[in-house]
Order: sequence, then C-alpha cells, then structure tokens
Amino acid sequence: MTANQVKPIAAIVGAGRTKFGELWYDDPERLLFDAGLSCMESVDKGIHRNQLEACFFGSFLYQATNKMGLVPGHMSKELGLNVPITMTEAACASGGSAIYSACLALRSGQYDTVLVGGFEKMTDRSNKISDDLMFAADPSEFGAGFTFPGLYATMMSRYIYDYSEGKQECEDALAMVSSKNHHHAIKNDFAQFRREFTPEAVKKSSLVAYPIRLLHCSPVSDGAAALILTVPEKASMYTDTPIYIISSQLATHDVSIYTRESITSIKTTKLASTAAFKETGLSYKDIQIAEVHDCFTIEEAMFLEDSGYYKKGEAWKGIYESYEANKGLKHVPYVNGQNELIVNPGGGLKADGHPVGATGVRQVYEAWAQLRGQAGGQQVEEKLDTALCHNIGGTGAICTVHILRR
Amino acid sequence: MSEPIARRQSLTDYRISASKCSVCGSVYFPPKSFCNNEGRASKMIKHDYLYEKGDFYSGSVIVASTNKFKYLSPYLSCIVEFKDGFRIPGRITDHTPSETADIGKYINRPIIPRFRRLYADGEDGLVYYSSMNFSFADEYYPYQEYTVLPPSKEIEKPGIVGYGAYIPKYRIKNEGDGAAGVKERTLPYADEDTTTFSVEAGKRALIHAALDSSYIKKVHVGTESPTYAVKPIMATVTQVLELGEKFEDGFFSGGVDTQFACKAATDMFIDACALVNYPQFGGEYAMIIGSDNSQAAPGDALDYTVGAGATAYIFGRRDVIATLDYYVSYTSDTPDFYRREHEKYPRHGGRFTGEPAYFKHVKTCMKACLEKSGFTPKDIQYVICHSPNAQFPTRAATEIGFNKDQIEPGLVGQKIGNLYSGSCPTSLAAVLDVAFPGDKILMTSYGSGAGSDSYIFTVTPKIEEKRNRIIPMREQIENPYREYVDYAFYRKMKESA
Repeated sequence: MTANQVKPIAAIVGAGRTKFGELWYDDPERLLFDAGLSCMESVDKGIHRNQLEACFFGSFLYQATNKMGLVPGHMSKELGLNVPITMTEAACASGGSAIYSACLALRSGQYDTVLVGGFEKMTDRSNKISDDLMFAADPSEFGAGFTFPGLYATMMSRYIYDYSEGKQECEDALAMVSSKNHHHAIKNDFAQFRREFTPEAVKKSSLVAYPIRLLHCSPVSDGAAALILTVPEKASMYTDTPIYIISSQLATHDVSIYTRESITSIKTTKLASTAAFKETGLSYKDIQIAEVHDCFTIEEAMFLEDSGYYKKGEAWKGIYESYEANKGLKHVPYVNGQNELIVNPGGGLKADGHPVGATGVRQVYEAWAQLRGQAGGQQVEEKLDTALCHNIGGTGAICTVHILRR
Repeated sequence: MSEPIARRQSLTDYRISASKCSVCGSVYFPPKSFCNNEGRASKMIKHDYLYEKGDFYSGSVIVASTNKFKYLSPYLSCIVEFKDGFRIPGRITDHTPSETADIGKYINRPIIPRFRRLYADGEDGLVYYSSMNFSFADEYYPYQEYTVLPPSKEIEKPGIVGYGAYIPKYRIKNEGDGAAGVKERTLPYADEDTTTFSVEAGKRALIHAALDSSYIKKVHVGTESPTYAVKPIMATVTQVLELGEKFEDGFFSGGVDTQFACKAATDMFIDACALVNYPQFGGEYAMIIGSDNSQAAPGDALDYTVGAGATAYIFGRRDVIATLDYYVSYTSDTPDFYRREHEKYPRHGGRFTGEPAYFKHVKTCMKACLEKSGFTPKDIQYVICHSPNAQFPTRAATEIGFNKDQIEPGLVGQKIGNLYSGSCPTSLAAVLDVAFPGDKILMTSYGSGAGSDSYIFTVTPKIEEKRNRIIPMREQIENPYREYVDYAFYRKMKESA
C-alpha cells in the first residue's frame, strides 16, 4: 500500500506557530493566542473562529511556572468562544497528546473542525525549571538526585556500555546528531538557535550530566504552536492542499526508568510506531522525513532503533557513517541501504527549541509546512509525500506517533 | 515536600521496602498490592533491601543538579540492580566523581545502601532521609550481612550484648603534634548528620549482636548536636531499624533523645541495665547510642579537636559480652561549657574547663568507683576517660595510677577527635575490639555542666563468638579508603551536616 491509498483520519487545513526562544514579554495564554491566530491566517480559503467546534490544548508546567490553572477559561476569554475546550498534560508529549485527542474526536464524528494548540512558558521561572521538569519523573528518581539530563545520561551511559564496542565513534555519533540538527535550523526563521556547531564543539561544551553536555540537550524555551484539523470530507472548504493525518497512535509505559526492562530503548516508541505502521500498512521505507523527539541526542538515536530504521545497537554506526558521508548537504539524511530518512529538517527540539507542551504540535506544523513545500529556507528539496512525527513525554512514559501525507 | 508526604516516603525509602510476586517473582517499588503480570490473584510478599547489596547498573555524573541537591554536586546518580533483577534509583555517596568520569568503569561495581540525608526544606523545614543512597562495597564501607540468631536460653547478669561503631570516611589532619594530642579527626560527608550516624551505629550493633530488632524495646540517643531542636532522632532510628514489635506502621517500643553534653549516652547505660532487669518493662533489650557531629565555632580551640561519629550498645541479659559490674555517678552545677537555645556553637570557659570541671569530676568518679568495687588500678586491664582531646584523659588516668598500656587502647580520640556524646562509647568499642574474656574495663565519661559516670565492665567468653561480626575501630581508623580534606572542605561539610 502507498500512503496515498491510506484512508485519512483528519485533514490539517491550517497551522501556525510563534518563534521559539526566550520570549520575556509574552504570557503563556498570549503565546497560544498568537499561534492560534497565525494558524487561522494560514487557512488558504479563510476560516472564522465561529467555525471551530472544540479546542484541544496541551501544556505541561503552566501551573508551576505561571501559577495558572483552568486553561479552558483563559482560552475562552482569549478566543471569545464558548465551545468545549479540553486540556492535556503529558509532560513533553502534551502537544502530541492533544493532537491524539483531537483525532479521536474527529474519528468519533462528534466534531468536524477543531483547533489544537500546545504551549509552554519555561523562562518565567528558569531558576526552578530543573526541579519542576522532574514532575515528569518518578519521585524516587528526584530523591536520588537525578535531573532530566541525568536520566537520559544514564540511558546514554548504558547504551555506550552495551553497544559502542569500545569505539569512540559511538560518542562522536551522539554529538553529530546535535551538529546535524543545528545545521538544519540555520534557515529556520522561528528557531531558537541558528548556529552551526561541529561535533567537536558539542563534545567540548559545558557539562550538564556526564556524559551529556549542554549541546546534547534541547534548550529551555517559550513558545506555542497550533493546528486546525477537520474531518477529511470538509477539508476542501478550507484548502485545496490539505495535509492528511493517516495515523494517530499513543502508547504509555512506566514513568520511571528504573522499572523498565531496558533503558537503552523506549518501549512506547516501539509500540506507537508499530501501531502506526500497522494502521497505515506502511513501513519506515515509506517515510521521507521524520520529526523526532530529540530532547537529548540519545533519544534520536533510540528512535532510529525503536522505529526499526536501524537494528538494535547500530543506530550510532548509521548516524556516524551518514554524517561523515553527507555533511555539508542542506539536509543530512540517515542512510540505510537504499533508504534515506531526513530527521528534524527544521532543527528539531535541539535547535528549533523545546517549549515542552508546544513541541508535539510544532512537529506537526513543521511536517505540514514541509509536505506543502512551504517550509521556507529549511524546505527539503526532494519531493515529499509522507512524514512521521514522534513526540515523547518524560523519559519515554508516553509517546505519540502521527503519520502525515499530502 | 510536606509532612504527610515525608511520612509516606519514610515507609518505603527508609528500608527500601518492596513487594515481590510469589508467582512470577516480579518486584515492585514502591510496594504494590498486586502483580502486573499475575493480577489480583497474586500473593505479594514484602521484602526490604536495606541489608542487601546491589550493583551499579548505569548512571550519570550530575553536574547541573536540581536546586535541592546543589549542596552535593557534582555527584553520581545511578540505577541500582539487586541480585534478583530488582532495580531502584540511587545516589552514590561518600564519593566525589570527576565531572567526566567514565561511567563504564562504575557499571557492575557492588554497592551498599546507606541511610543518608536527601535535603532539607530550608533552615526551618523538614529534613528528608532515605536509604536509597549507596557507597561502593569495595571501598570505605564494607558490606555486612545481618543474620539473626536465636538468643541463648541462659539468663545472666545484665551487660553489653552487642555494639557497633561508625566513623565517617573523611578526615582532617592537625599540623605538627596536633591540638592537645589530637592528630586527626573525622568529619561528616555533607549528607551525614547525627541522625544518620545513629542509624549506622545502631545497624552495626544489631549485626554484631545478631539480634532480632523487634526484641529491642527502648532506644535512647545521647547527643548535643541533634538534627532538630524538637523531634527525636530515636524515632528515626526506630523506624529505620524496626526496633520493637511492629504494629501497623509503628513499633511497640520507646525511648528518648538525651542531653548532658558529652555524657548524654553513658549516663543511660545504667538505666538500660536496670530496665532489662525490670519485669514490667516487657522486653529484654535496650539500645543506647552516643552520636555527635561535634560542633565548634570556626577558629575556636575546639575547632581543632572536634570529630564526628557514633557508637551504639545493646544491653540485655542473654549472650552478654561484658557485664556491667559497678557504677558511680557524680554531678555538680559547674558552667564550663554550654550552648543556649538557637545558638549554633557552644561556648566554654577556657582553662576553667580543666581543673574544676573535667579533672575534678572524672577523677572523683573514678576513685569512687574503684573504692566501691574494691579494685585497684592493677586489677583493671583497660581504662577509658572521656576524650575532649588526648591530653586530658591521659593525665586523669595517670594521676589515678594507671599506666600507658591500660590507657592507650581506648585513646582513639587522637585519631578521630572528640566525638562528644560518642566519645566514651567509641573508646569503649575500641577496647572491646581487643579485650579478652576476664578483662576488666573502667570507663569514666564526662559531661559539661557537669558530671561523670564511671562503670566497671567484665568481659565474658561470649565476646569471642561475636568478634567476626564487628568492624574494629582500628580498621576503621586505618581504613585505606579514608580521605583527607583541607580546612575549607571540612568547614563546608561540617556546616552542611
């Protein structure tokens, strides 16, 4: 089966976002409003607020960072709407979970047109953000002194121990992920960082939680992103070039890494991507671009294995060889035999920024823009049909996978 | 955190309490009432990992820590794997890793749970503890199994049934000949305090006595550096070591923290022996712990003699290793050393702490005890006096007629410093380590304010049977993994604890 033959679940008829970064002058509800407005304005044939039947929003830390609750009330006030608004909290997968909920609502036939949004305001309490992010971990992990980078560093340490075969190239590859994503963001007008970093610079950056250094980590960011989804049958009311969501999957697992059978792979990525491929009849060979949750570079490497693109323990070899062979290209693909997969064409979480609740929605925004050929400077030059978006919460306790096609 | 959360966490974190499915063997932490694999039909068995040994599975050097743990960074956080495959998160303590330490070299190293402080909620909030902190088994702190043996049927004269001393890994040296004979001293790691010392010493005493912890019905912790002004350390010791018969999440046992400067613990030795003889007590064993992170103002003369650590004793009437034969206590209102409420450091009267305070009380008490017993110094094999330094005890004992051979074995203060309430109990531990059946030990404590207790113990043959379960003071003092630090590090650790 090809992607074109798969029956769509929903159509994306509009998408918008704010710039990601340190947005000192914006309140969180303002960010979401701005993303929503740019999303409305992106609808080719126009849309009016009153055509929105429901809203699905995702965010993680707003209660701690902004002493704010009841987002539906805030957004009702901002939008001037009295429609059902629901709020999803799933840490860094809050955005992906909001999209999943919206897809469920459209699948059910309850609504025809809905607004999806994700937002986060992390810099308003930056001195406490390391502590606050641990809300998405097990309390015993906090008690053991862990930070989020520390948890991923623990996975990375074990990955290196189990699979590097003692070769330095493994650690080099995990630095190359960062270099590649920074390179992809150079022409992304919305990105938080538009600077090149060599793998050597990544490996010399300041220490956070060894073996993780600053440039292995996605940043602390503010930002929001929004989408308008309709049932496929209504898409033509709004645009002639809708992007279809053909799979929407979500899987969950233990919040704690210490209880998991393996800490060198993410079970939820395996479950959600397997379910998405099953739902569509596609395989990774059909995907040209992937928006991958590279909160830390090890997570992108684990995705490449958990999704089946590379064999277990071999992603680092694929990353290393692909980077060495293709560095300098506008987009550096991961090569596997005859297959080429471009991951994070706009810079991913690493360079575009990671306002956690916005990320899952921003990923779909990026895939939407790429598939429509409207991604601006970071547009992938090859013809694109199919994209995959992979959004992780916590250390992998939740994962959403969405497959999109033209 | 909050008070109720702290209580709930203590029930799981103090002993690493998990539940194990009797069908498939899966282990859950925190404990669950049913197994995810077997469903609600599964029978879950409670299992604690406090006395077990695990392996370092993977980890990271935390450089940029959460705010709560900044006082310790950089440190190693890790996943610990026990032999049945059960894993928990943990922090490595007593260890300052290189910021770029090769984690692969830590993987599979055996590690032992340690009861340590996590963090405190500011200056006036709760202090949180857990046993999910670990030190390397091939390093300073050796692994000991806790095997419970049935007590002998024979009832004897009351005395010491078991003991356990704990001194921290870190040391600071005094220059030249030392300060009043104190050449080097122990200091706590930043996550140690009087509460953690007490638990460590109590744990070692239980291991030494091979006694079921539920038999201990009373525990007193003598200290002058309590973690809280109001909240007993003995309650934490009871909860961690499960002293007394368990009922719901508490224990049928009692006790208090006692305060009388450096004799807060020794004063209770006679009470413990009296108690185990008293039929209405309802139990046969009592534990007394002398524990201090001895405090001194920076730059004060005492700042060069204070140490840190604890020693615990279990008193009872079965399997006694040293009987308590004679006792005298002597008290007067002598204001030589004191600390007012809310003050951080004690004050003292300088030379007034000597003749009219220490020497008057120690010597009077020693003499009276010898008279009461009818012994002369020649009948006694070992003599111990409270060691605010190394000179005072030597002089006091010599003036009564004891010689160097009788004094030296108990003179550990010159290597570990003044442990305040832990001083005499730790010296006694050093002597018991080397004493033979039949030996008589005269111990005289001193507490400012002021008073002394003198005791004469007689060592029994049972001491030999238990010797392989002790970590001798000599080994602890000379442990090759001890770490020497400079004055700045010492003050930082002292203030953190």
